Amino acid sequence: MTTEVFTTRIVEELKNIIGVHKPEFCYQCAKCTSGCTANKVFSEYRPHEFVALANMGYVEEILKSGVIWACTECWKCGQYCPQEVAPVEVIIALKNLSIIKGYAPPKALVEMTKNVIEKGLIQDINQVMTKDFEFIDRDSLGLPPLEEPPQMDKHRNILSKFFGVVMK
Amino acid sequence: MEEVRIGIYICHCGKNIAGVINPKRIVEHLSRLPNVVVAKEYLYMCSSPGQSLIEEDIKEYNLNRIIVAACSPRMHEPTFQSALIRAGLNPYLLEMVNIREHATWVHERDPAETEQKVIGLIRAAVHRAINLYPLEVERLPVVKSVLVVGGGIAGIRASLDLAKAGYKVYLVEKNQSIGGKMAQLDKTFPTLDCSQCILTPMMVDVSNNPNIILQTYSVVEEINGRPGEFEVKVRQKARYVDWDACTGCGTCVEKCPARVPSEFDEGLGTRKAIYFDFPQAIPRRPVIDPDHCLYLIKGVCRVCEKFCPTGAIKFEDEDQFLTLKVGAIVVATGYQLYDMRKMYEYGYGKYRNVITGMQLERLSSANGPTSGRITTIEIERGKIKPGKEPETVAIILCAGSRDENHIKYCCRIGCMAGLKHAYYIAHALPNSKIIICYTDIRAFGKGFEEFYQRIRSLPNVFMVRGRPMEIFENKDGSLILDVFDSNTNRRLTINADLVVLETALVPPQGFEEFRKILKISCDPGGFGLELHPKLKPVETTVDGIYLAGFIQGPKDIPDTVAHAGAAAAAASAFLAKGYIESIPYLAHVDEDICSGCGVCVSVCPYDAITIEVTDGRRLAKVNSVKCKGCGACAAACPSGAMQQHYFTDKQILSEVSALAEGVVA
Amino acid sequence: MRYLLYLGCVIPTKQYAYEVSLREVFPKFGVQLEEFNERCCGFPLKSINKKAWLYMGARVLARASELGLPILAPCNGCHVSLWETKHQMEEDPYLKSEILSYLKSEGLYKFDDVDIKHPVEVLHDIIGLEKIKEKVVRPLQGLKIASHPGCHLMRPTDIPRPEDNANPDKIDRILRALGAESYDYPDKGGCCGATMLPFSPDNAIKVGAQKILTMINAGFNAATTSCPYCMEMLDNKQDAAKTITGNMEVSLPVFYLTQLVGLAIGIEPSKLLINLNMSPVDEILAEVGVV
Repeated sequence: MTTEVFTTRIVEELKNIIGVHKPEFCYQCAKCTSGCTANKVFSEYRPHEFVALANMGYVEEILKSGVIWACTECWKCGQYCPQEVAPVEVIIALKNLSIIKGYAPPKALVEMTKNVIEKGLIQDINQVMTKDFEFIDRDSLGLPPLEEPPQMDKHRNILSKFFGVVMK
Repeated sequence: MEEVRIGIYICHCGKNIAGVINPKRIVEHLSRLPNVVVAKEYLYMCSSPGQSLIEEDIKEYNLNRIIVAACSPRMHEPTFQSALIRAGLNPYLLEMVNIREHATWVHERDPAETEQKVIGLIRAAVHRAINLYPLEVERLPVVKSVLVVGGGIAGIRASLDLAKAGYKVYLVEKNQSIGGKMAQLDKTFPTLDCSQCILTPMMVDVSNNPNIILQTYSVVEEINGRPGEFEVKVRQKARYVDWDACTGCGTCVEKCPARVPSEFDEGLGTRKAIYFDFPQAIPRRPVIDPDHCLYLIKGVCRVCEKFCPTGAIKFEDEDQFLTLKVGAIVVATGYQLYDMRKMYEYGYGKYRNVITGMQLERLSSANGPTSGRITTIEIERGKIKPGKEPETVAIILCAGSRDENHIKYCCRIGCMAGLKHAYYIAHALPNSKIIICYTDIRAFGKGFEEFYQRIRSLPNVFMVRGRPMEIFENKDGSLILDVFDSNTNRRLTINADLVVLETALVPPQGFEEFRKILKISCDPGGFGLELHPKLKPVETTVDGIYLAGFIQGPKDIPDTVAHAGAAAAAASAFLAKGYIESIPYLAHVDEDICSGCGVCVSVCPYDAITIEVTDGRRLAKVNSVKCKGCGACAAACPSGAMQQHYFTDKQILSEVSALAEGVVA
Repeated sequence: MRYLLYLGCVIPTKQYAYEVSLREVFPKFGVQLEEFNERCCGFPLKSINKKAWLYMGARVLARASELGLPILAPCNGCHVSLWETKHQMEEDPYLKSEILSYLKSEGLYKFDDVDIKHPVEVLHDIIGLEKIKEKVVRPLQGLKIASHPGCHLMRPTDIPRPEDNANPDKIDRILRALGAESYDYPDKGGCCGATMLPFSPDNAIKVGAQKILTMINAGFNAATTSCPYCMEMLDNKQDAAKTITGNMEVSLPVFYLTQLVGLAIGIEPSKLLINLNMSPVDEILAEVGVV
């Protein structure tokens, strides 16, 4: 028989990323999950449960599942939480931690990160089709070109350092 | 001058003090200090052997100053003062050093430094003790009558107890009738007995008791005087009815054409502009609401006057002021519901079928707007009408309570009230479904757990462990809410005909101002602060003023009644001897030094100092009855003429310099 | 009224209708828009690295600070990101000095003196409903328009937001000033689902579809938003929503608020790029006789 080893209430690393919000206040009223946008379509996405797991030190368990990436960051749980937990901020911190621990984020986010480092924007200029099946873009619309702002080299260097882990 | 002989006693306070520092080691240090004849330590100085130790030493070593280093003087100064008295020493030759709250509790991680701090504090006390001198207390007479503010169940119980003990009681209530919140309830938990049936006989007792003077529709405006002899100014609001002439026949109420939403029915029913709070009101004397009386606002009508058989209508009535002299005051002002409109996510005030628990009480009460029929709410041409029998009702607990955005504390009533409300509906409408959305069921009182079991066993009551985030209204006025049930790990979408919010409860409107008139403190929730959370639950920071019931903090009816009884007993005990002892720490003037500059007059919060001209010299005079010993004048006096006994400049400065320099000044 | 037009990522690379209608409409009210070529505010990457997100936001602010003008951020994501950056730096001086050290290496020194406005704020609070009403030549009568503020116009609740989180009604009031009908409806403050796209596009689209259905059930014949992400979900992906949910009822004309203002003050639909709206907008405009 294995008995439970209670390590820490909440991983210090996670707490540092969270900042001012207070997961340790959570009393599991589940108000967050009751009105959660993501829970409507992902029944396994349950913010109150993530907060409880994080408080018991079961962080790895959450990170492994990857379901935290379903969060839409709509911040409703932060607005209505009676205990200043703001589960959304705990979940954003969990996502940050999962990157640090080497778990891969959704592919589209990696793509966006790559674009931000290279071009400064999450995506390239698109050609968009109108209802009249015409393709338009900035040029054809006569919109000003997106000139590169100054000091982009330095900016890129700093971003590469921040996002190094993701790009691996 | 007599030789100063000091005895020092260090209390271990169990592990509270001795768990951090070593009292034995400190005692060794202390014997080297000036005038110290004996220094000892003991496990519990406040216990009988501890006190005996001091008494015996006073006699054996001929001690004339005692220093006790222990807990807060607020806790045990009177304890040790009585030990001094028993040993024949003036009690004001005692000096207490708080080495618990000021040292061991706050620095428990650094014992060595804490020991140094304790030694420093005691050394300072030694220097202060050298400068202490005996003080005498005065006996002041008391008035054997009591003011009870608030006529709910707490005020009623306190008034009846005090009247029984022989005191004259003035019961002041702001509404037309006594009865308070309890009168609005249908039944009481956990026994489900009829609230009116147990309350109204007590209301009648109040009105029949010759020792109780009932002063309803009145508010307390000012309080002067001192404990034992308060002077209270009461405003009796204009009633527009001569209560002496009125017989309470109610014809005026029947004939009055103006309808107003009823406060008693929580806005679900109406009352007239001339009204009793409710049919069973005590006293049975109506008042006119000047904001809705057609004659008083538009100058036409006077129907009540026409039909009154005794000519009691008095449109020219005005507010009247009374002055009461009382020895003690019992504050029983109760509570009010938190304004649920502030919790916008539940749509109270916006969606007609989201109601408060108190509104459900009115719907369920036989004397309520639906004569006890539980219905949904319809609005027809701006007027509230009873709708159909609800099929599904959601009851939400902790609505606004335990919430950092609203009210932080637990209301202590909502859980049981919610279960009771489920019972009302389940009992009246056996085909309905009742969903209780709870977070924790706090069933701490006598009979509560059994009640919880009884309610959750009902076939049409469903317990859902979760709290909805938002409520939305359907076109037909029913409500839709999602709630995640963490027991079944399911998100439930509920279509409810009625949603009942078990609301947060807060101090009544105007209590903050009233508290300032009383000069008592409050807790973070805004309730009156008791003198000690465990040992002095009805006393306040002002002698002679007591808290009864909800106004000290959330309470259900049994706790409120017990608390009110305790407040009455404490007020009785305060007045029983017929006198109180004055505090001796008052201000006094050295007339040789006083220049009559008047700074003291301007800083005194109690109007206790006047400047008088004696032999052509302006001199400050202290009125010892008004002085409360706050020390503001002594601190402000530029010449040092104004001194406060027990806190003279010499006493304080010797203590400070010993602390600052660590050497004898 | 001069603002640096900070378009962010999505508007200048894809949501051209928002940019074009904004550039058409705002000058008509005397609002001068200055070109401000800046890069991503960091919003989508907050989940990857909060510090990087703050640095990116601070950099945009610092560049604006150099130019000495307030920012107009038409994207809800950019607007919230910049405000949050400002707020978090105020709360945490250590974090602030760390972020400043990155900026210094780029020759930037200051970022906390910049005001950030959203088009809804400019229209409602600065231009004002009266001025808007004066300019209306083609009232939007017959249009019952659901306002979709989008999450970040009203949340997080601990920082200043353009809309009141208890009662978001600025867009409604603007719509009424344009002659349209607008009222509260269930889940008005609900989410479009856009942020879930990278993780699960189908489920994200389901969220958007549910929002459209609530609007239809509440009796609206059109909807509006002023966020490019919300537009993407509610308008551009309406056809996809029909396919994924199998519900053909998911059909509601959706406009940018700036497009509606433009229509009402008499700008030609083609100049507002109405032909980029994928929802059935032409039909409704013809039906109510606006066009």
